[in-house]
Amino acid sequence: MNVETQQTAAEVKQLKACINDLIGVVALPAIWSGGEPSQIARTLLDVLLNMLRLDLVYVRLEDPLGEAPIEMIRVAESRSLTGRPRAIGEVLNRWLGDDPQQWPPLARNPIGGGDMSIVPLPLGLQGEIGVIVAGSQRADFPGQTERLLLSVAANQAAIGLHEARLLSAQKRVANELDQRVARRTTELAAANEELRKEIAERRLAEARLHEEERALKRSEALLAEAQRLSSTGSFTWRVVTDEITWSDQSYRIFQIDRATPVTFGLIDNRVHPEDLPAFKERLEFARSDGRDVELDFRLQLPDRSVRYIHVVAHSSRDEDGKLEYTGAVQDVSERRLSDEALGKARSELAHVARVTTLGALTASIAHEVNQPLSGIITNASTCLRMLAVDPPNVDGARETARRTIRDGNRASDVITRLRALFGKEGAATESVDLNEATREVIALSLSELQRGRVILRSELADGLPPVTGDRVQLQQVILNLLLNASEAMSGVHDRPRQLVIRTERDEGDRVRLTVQDAGVGLDPHGVNRLFDAFYTTKSGGMGIGLSVSRSIIESHHGRLWAAPNDGPGATFSFSIPRGPEGVKAAQSLGAMRTSSATDAQHVMRNP
Amino acid sequence: MIDMRSLVSVVDDDESVRESLPDLLREFGFAVEAFSSAEEFLASGCVGQTRCLILDVAMPGMSGPDLQRELRRRRHEIPIVFITAHRDETVRPRVLEQGAVECLFKPFSEAALLEALNAALRAA
Repeated sequence: MNVETQQTAAEVKQLKACINDLIGVVALPAIWSGGEPSQIARTLLDVLLNMLRLDLVYVRLEDPLGEAPIEMIRVAESRSLTGRPRAIGEVLNRWLGDDPQQWPPLARNPIGGGDMSIVPLPLGLQGEIGVIVAGSQRADFPGQTERLLLSVAANQAAIGLHEARLLSAQKRVANELDQRVARRTTELAAANEELRKEIAERRLAEARLHEEERALKRSEALLAEAQRLSSTGSFTWRVVTDEITWSDQSYRIFQIDRATPVTFGLIDNRVHPEDLPAFKERLEFARSDGRDVELDFRLQLPDRSVRYIHVVAHSSRDEDGKLEYTGAVQDVSERRLSDEALGKARSELAHVARVTTLGALTASIAHEVNQPLSGIITNASTCLRMLAVDPPNVDGARETARRTIRDGNRASDVITRLRALFGKEGAATESVDLNEATREVIALSLSELQRGRVILRSELADGLPPVTGDRVQLQQVILNLLLNASEAMSGVHDRPRQLVIRTERDEGDRVRLTVQDAGVGLDPHGVNRLFDAFYTTKSGGMGIGLSVSRSIIESHHGRLWAAPNDGPGATFSFSIPRGPEGVKAAQSLGAMRTSSATDAQHVMRNP
Repeated sequence: MIDMRSLVSVVDDDESVRESLPDLLREFGFAVEAFSSAEEFLASGCVGQTRCLILDVAMPGMSGPDLQRELRRRRHEIPIVFITAHRDETVRPRVLEQGAVECLFKPFSEAALLEALNAALRAA
């Protein structure tokens, strides 16, 4: 083999090695694909250090975001270079300068420790990616092939790093995007949740509104039904314009078609002619007075039937200060009828009670009448005898005749009292002297009490103020209490049958009457039922006396009660107000008993 | 025959009876004393002289039948004519059983009174 051939073979070998190295360098991007810039730099340094048998290789990667650059350094194992990559980098930087365009293509020995050829290679066109610095102590460094390889490696590295940067930027962007998406997703989810809540709330509100509407409708329906059931209508009246509105029930009460506008002309047409003047007067008064109104009147309906109406109205002012009335109109006919029926029943019961008492008093009454009758007959007989003798005893006859008249009057008084108590129904309300009324009752029942061996003591208060009420009814109560007391003592033999009747002023401008006996007392089990109708402990009693008595006293706004004595027996008392309340009570009582009273009067006045 | 000297006593709490009845009895010719209660009669000192007692049944305090019993207890066998304004039918048999001559219900006639008095004086 000649030299030329040997040279050629060496060149070929060198060329092959160069091609191998080139292939290795060109293949680098495939290894770098997807890698981080620091990883790229690391493999680049390792490859260059080994491939070119360098003593030092340094890389500085500029941070695209302006952060601190990444610096790395590799040194051949045989070399021991002092200093950290950054310190070496600083030395290199000082030497290379800030502008890569100005970097020398080759420099020698920048870091001491003997000669070393240094080749800086910018990464990127203007070194914007960074710089690679390769150094070797070999004298022939860098050879042509080494320059080529370094240049290709730098280009490849620039491309790889650029891609890595792009990738990294993409990743960052993607990451940021992801984060933004995640953030936005969270925000959206929150907004969505908020919206969902809002929708739910709105639905709930709608449901509530719906429910309220339904409740309102139900309540309206109930009101209408209640108005119908209670026969109560409602109305409003704007006084200044005379605008009137009616509820359905008001229309029904007045028997007017719903479509008809309500006017006072229409109403006046329905009001009973007898009540119309008072009705109109009352409304005129309300118009000027502006206070709450309550009135009763009758309606005369087209079919001639009559209904009793009760109206209450509350006055108010609208925002302009105009007077308005809002009220209720009630058909009270049924109630009035049942009140009347109740009154009639009560009155009948009271009548039965009176008649029953009359039965109990028959013997006493007979006594009261027979006593003066006996006097009349005896005196008349005496008178005749005195006139029959010769000469006639005229003075004696005159005296006996006078006594006859006196006894006749006495009998007549008894009858009058009886009529007052059992028959005649006088004016219901009058001023009653309770003492006088009590004395009359005692007079009628005295012989009855005497017969029962009752010792009566009356303690009637002096100067007792009169009460306003129904004298006959109050006397009925007194009589009932007296006879009950007497009867309660009929079985008593071991003590005096003492009966005390007492009148006195009571607190609160009232008058009290008390009947105290020494009888059997109150049965603790029956005491609550004492005043119940048809409750009795007597063999012959009906059990209506005390019941009727209590209702009489209550209708006088009074109270009737029983209490056991400290000793034997019981005390019954009633207390009634003497003021105008009593008048009112007795008036209603008068109305209550009108119907049966008329019958009784009729019977008594036409015997 | 009626003994004109006989004393008839009337016991009644009713004043009109005490006025009218003695007058009538005096017209008949009796000597008459009137008392307003049984207690008053017992205390009067007339008990022994009384040939006939006209006695009210119901009186405050001692009643007619009470006096009847009291007189028997004291062994005064005075014939008694009861008078009463009460139409109590149980009174009459009760007092008759206890020895009364008669029991008249007010108002009674002059004839009925005379008949009862006669019976009483016959019994005395």
